[in-house]
Amino acid sequence: MKPTWRSLTGSRLLDVLTLFVVFAFLFPYLFMVSSAFKSRLETFAYPPVFLNFTPTLEHFDNIFSDMNILFYMKNSTIIAVCSTLLTILIAIPATYSLARYRFRYKEGVAYGFLFLQMVPGISIVFALFFIARSLDLFDTHIFLIVVYLLWNIPYAIWMMRGFVEGIPVELEESAMVDGASRFKAFRLITLPLMAGGVAATAILIFIGVWNEFSVAFFLTSTNARTMPTTIAFFMTHSGIKWGPMFATATIGTLPVVVFALLVRRYFISALTFGAVKG
Amino acid sequence: MTEDRNAWGRRPGWLAPAVLILPAFVVVFAIAGYSALSLFQLSTVDLTFGEPFSNAEAVGLENYQWLLTNQHSTFWATLRVTVIYLLGTLIPELLLGFAIALLLNRKMRGNSLFTAVLVIPIVLMPSMVGLIGRLYFSYDGLVNYFFEILTGIRHNWYGKDLALLAVILVDIWEWSPFFILILLAGLQTLPIEPFEAARVDGASRWQSFTLITLPLMLPLLLTTLILRFMDVLRLFDVIFVMFAGGPGTATTTLPLYVYRSTLVLRDVGRGSAASIMLIIIIVSLTVILIKVRERIKFEV
Repeated sequence: MKPTWRSLTGSRLLDVLTLFVVFAFLFPYLFMVSSAFKSRLETFAYPPVFLNFTPTLEHFDNIFSDMNILFYMKNSTIIAVCSTLLTILIAIPATYSLARYRFRYKEGVAYGFLFLQMVPGISIVFALFFIARSLDLFDTHIFLIVVYLLWNIPYAIWMMRGFVEGIPVELEESAMVDGASRFKAFRLITLPLMAGGVAATAILIFIGVWNEFSVAFFLTSTNARTMPTTIAFFMTHSGIKWGPMFATATIGTLPVVVFALLVRRYFISALTFGAVKG
Repeated sequence: MTEDRNAWGRRPGWLAPAVLILPAFVVVFAIAGYSALSLFQLSTVDLTFGEPFSNAEAVGLENYQWLLTNQHSTFWATLRVTVIYLLGTLIPELLLGFAIALLLNRKMRGNSLFTAVLVIPIVLMPSMVGLIGRLYFSYDGLVNYFFEILTGIRHNWYGKDLALLAVILVDIWEWSPFFILILLAGLQTLPIEPFEAARVDGASRWQSFTLITLPLMLPLLLTTLILRFMDVLRLFDVIFVMFAGGPGTATTTLPLYVYRSTLVLRDVGRGSAASIMLIIIIVSLTVILIKVRERIKFEV
């Protein structure tokens, strides 16, 4: 069928509309990043300043030298990396168990994990606050690392189960026929094949912990405070310090955006607990 | 005794899978169990936040009763805000997300770049999103600027009439891409044959959309809606940073109510009782939704 003039202009119009829509979603982010380089007056200007400003690095200078943002980045990194590694370490055998064995109440156990994953952080954070106080673990890295396992492990199990089930069990079986133990078959055959999925899961868990606010905000004060909870520092009596806030937001979201783009292929399964393949 | 053999040619033992799953099971259920027990205990006492636990006075289920029946309790008003927030975010996000997914589901240059861009709002730090939202919705902010261009009027988004709409709009910006990305992935895996058959039969584009696309997409639409539903119902950070539940109780959804009862009113007992009700609501509604979804899956 030859494209008619009408269908051509129609699809051109839709192309333009698509571009516009996508740009509309990107715009608030672009404006946020650009605002990190604006002076205080330009941030508050009305009508807003879009492109005609002289970029300044004063806010970045400010957050690194006065606010010591590196300290909070270090805390975030320690907590996110440790919690992610622990999660993967604990979740891989559990995933294997759910994906490769048949046993009673298997689906019950899997859904049990899923339901615990649904518990809102804010609903148990004050109970956790009392627990942390009684264990003398308030405002410590280790407490956050462990608490996050409650959400991370079920998430990892649901994510990775799909990856393991996608690998033909016959590969392991043939290795075992050749005399490998079950563990060796897993280590040499299945584990390398699921490595991509594990890495993607790890990155997504890292992003989740890195961004987490409700739990971190109420369970830390000075020692283990993370990046997302530094927003409290920008809300001062004399108003909100927008410049440093935008600079922090830009730096804090940068690794996550880069990571997310790296694992884009897995993003759909990540968003849906592995229920939908991208 | 005959041995029941599985695919591995071995007896289906329970020991190996149990041992493998044990660490995850113990860790997760220990954390959850410990928190749940102390949460329940806290929900049955009268305790001011900041006082040591030894000052707590056992009151049984009075806190629950107070929340549900006392005339000074704003629990029901909170539920109303929560329902408005749920519908106000989920319905537009679903419609907008589906529409944009259809728009992106055409052969066009730059499509992979577009989907990459749409990942960004989802992965930004929610607390920062909340703070940015606060600036964008201020009287001299970005949102009013575009409103003034389009309608000639600026609005006071910080007021109690529009604050809830402001947090809803932020969520729509942040999470419509969630629907777009998932539904787009779904559209791209639809089989081609039914559409060709429909075209041969002379069906219009609209007919093939309502009679083929929609029914085929229904299970995925519901799955996406359920996942988002769980997340919206527990959302705390963005609203907390933007308006902390205010002005008044205009943006106090259930998670915000938990925070305000516990830390603002310093009533640990009622806050914990509200927490438990939030958990019960989330889990029971999600179970119902999953059941509904399963039924629909079989009908299509």
